[in-house]
Amino acid sequence: MNKRTETAISADTAVADPLLSVRDVNVHFGGIVALDGVSFDIPAGQVVGLIGPNGAGKTTLFNCISRLYSVNKGDILFEGKSILKTPVYKMSGIGIGRTFQNLALFANLTVLDNVMIGGHPRGKTDYVSNMLRLPWTRKEENRLRAEAMEMLKFMRLQDTALQRIGDLPFGIQKRLEIARALLGRPKLLLMDEPAGGLNHNELSELMMTIRRIRDEFGTTVLLVEHHMGLVMEVSEKVVALSFGRKLAEGPPRAIQEHPDVIEAYLGTGKK
Amino acid sequence: MASDVETQVPAQTDTRLVSGKKIPFKWVAVFIILGLFIPYFVQGYVAFQGTLIMIYAVAILGLNLLTGFNGQFSLGHSAFYAIGAYTAAVLVYHLDWPVYATIPVGGLVCFVAGFLFGLPALRLEGLYLALATFALGVAVPQILKSSHLEELTGGVQGLDVFRPAVPEFLVNNLAMNMDRWWYFIAFFVMLFMFWLAWNLINSRSGRAMMAIRDNPIAAKSMGINTSLYKSLTFGLSAFYTGIAGAMAAIVIEFVAPDSFTFQLSILLFIGLVIGGTGSIWGSIFGGFFILFVPNFAEEISTGLSYAVFGVILILVIYVMPSGFAGLVNILSVRFKKLFGAKTS
Repeated sequence: MNKRTETAISADTAVADPLLSVRDVNVHFGGIVALDGVSFDIPAGQVVGLIGPNGAGKTTLFNCISRLYSVNKGDILFEGKSILKTPVYKMSGIGIGRTFQNLALFANLTVLDNVMIGGHPRGKTDYVSNMLRLPWTRKEENRLRAEAMEMLKFMRLQDTALQRIGDLPFGIQKRLEIARALLGRPKLLLMDEPAGGLNHNELSELMMTIRRIRDEFGTTVLLVEHHMGLVMEVSEKVVALSFGRKLAEGPPRAIQEHPDVIEAYLGTGKK
Repeated sequence: MASDVETQVPAQTDTRLVSGKKIPFKWVAVFIILGLFIPYFVQGYVAFQGTLIMIYAVAILGLNLLTGFNGQFSLGHSAFYAIGAYTAAVLVYHLDWPVYATIPVGGLVCFVAGFLFGLPALRLEGLYLALATFALGVAVPQILKSSHLEELTGGVQGLDVFRPAVPEFLVNNLAMNMDRWWYFIAFFVMLFMFWLAWNLINSRSGRAMMAIRDNPIAAKSMGINTSLYKSLTFGLSAFYTGIAGAMAAIVIEFVAPDSFTFQLSILLFIGLVIGGTGSIWGSIFGGFFILFVPNFAEEISTGLSYAVFGVILILVIYVMPSGFAGLVNILSVRFKKLFGAKTS
């Protein structure tokens, strides 16, 4: 799998169309400017990290891409088409999945049901066929269940399949969020602070998981994250925001050494 | 990487991981056999009461699909019960329809009414939806009484519904009479409606309903068209309640506006909570409760019947905070632990 990553990096990414492109996006809430002319591309097949100090506008941008906030100016293109008019419920169907920072699982359902709901947009059965249990509904249901079990195995959660969410530890719920999002077969997976609240072991497992998501499913990942170590370790490209503007974008090492980024984080007394 | 772990296939693979939840056939079989024999061992009036319990159970299940499985509140289900009942009555009284055909039609009319009501009501969350449905519940009996519709609805007097005689060959072979015959019809309609609900809950659409209940924003992000599902569920809930209303009109052989007051909505709601929100079969107990307990309270003290009913209600809630179905679940888990039975 490492070979695939290397080719992905060494290949001339500038030639390929970006999977997602954020173009001159402005967002303001009343008089407060949350995002001010932010532009960047997410190339297909890469892990892109979005970083910035508190209040930089990371979460605002994340919510714009996942369509929970609307954009005042600018555009967001997915596979060349604007998504600004796409309703939230169609996002998963067109290939943009997401995880939530503060867990948003379905608390009264089992782990298996939670994951199966991730595959909802690919299903075709409706109330009538479901209520009458028509033959093809069972087929669809069994296929979806098998896929969900595969996904649970991928995330090493298969032993919890029949447990209810309420009884599960935090780290497992975080993994479950990823499994659920992946069952929508996203081309682009938006991850909102996946490292938040994880311990050291869980963190290194998360790094592996993100790489495996990219390598085994070919999924592009946008990572919005506070945890520098994680972002620098797994990303091919990092975009740094501060006070609603883009400070820099580039490979992790270049970002780490970028003077503006260092200043934004450490506040060096430049006069 | 993890393949060496996966090769050890666990010996006790749960069938639920492969083919989903199965109907508990053993319990259902016991229930059906009991249900079939009861009318032969009790008096006609008791069979009639059993019929009413099952009709209530269908209506409560309808409310349960809305509240227990989809998280929307309604204090106006008496309106749908009334619409179902009046649809049946009008079709029989004015148009001489066969009574059996009016049952599904009553349901369908309510589906349309519920879906249309659900569309604007979607914008209302929780308490506000409860208020809007409350308005519907109190408005419908007045509308039924109004002089503009008197030709159709019979106004305050209501309408009579005439039942045809029991089919001859059943009278001869199975000792059928009117009470038993309608008991069996209600019984099979209820079983069918329960089967539909069970299928729904264990399917893509049912999961979407429950996802909306548990976390609407996440549900939307997972690709569920929450507005559509909420209004469809509202329509479906009304469908169930309308079927119950139509059967009630036929069994009681009479409809009048005052049978469908707001109090009926509250009774259905009580039946929902007592039976167990989010439980299909709990609805039967809910129906049992709302048929017998108000009468029982009246027997204890005519003047203070509501006070007695209130005390009973509080006691019951205290003993089984998650409804009858919840209590049975807790007890069965304890029982299995006590005797160390295999839970799979």
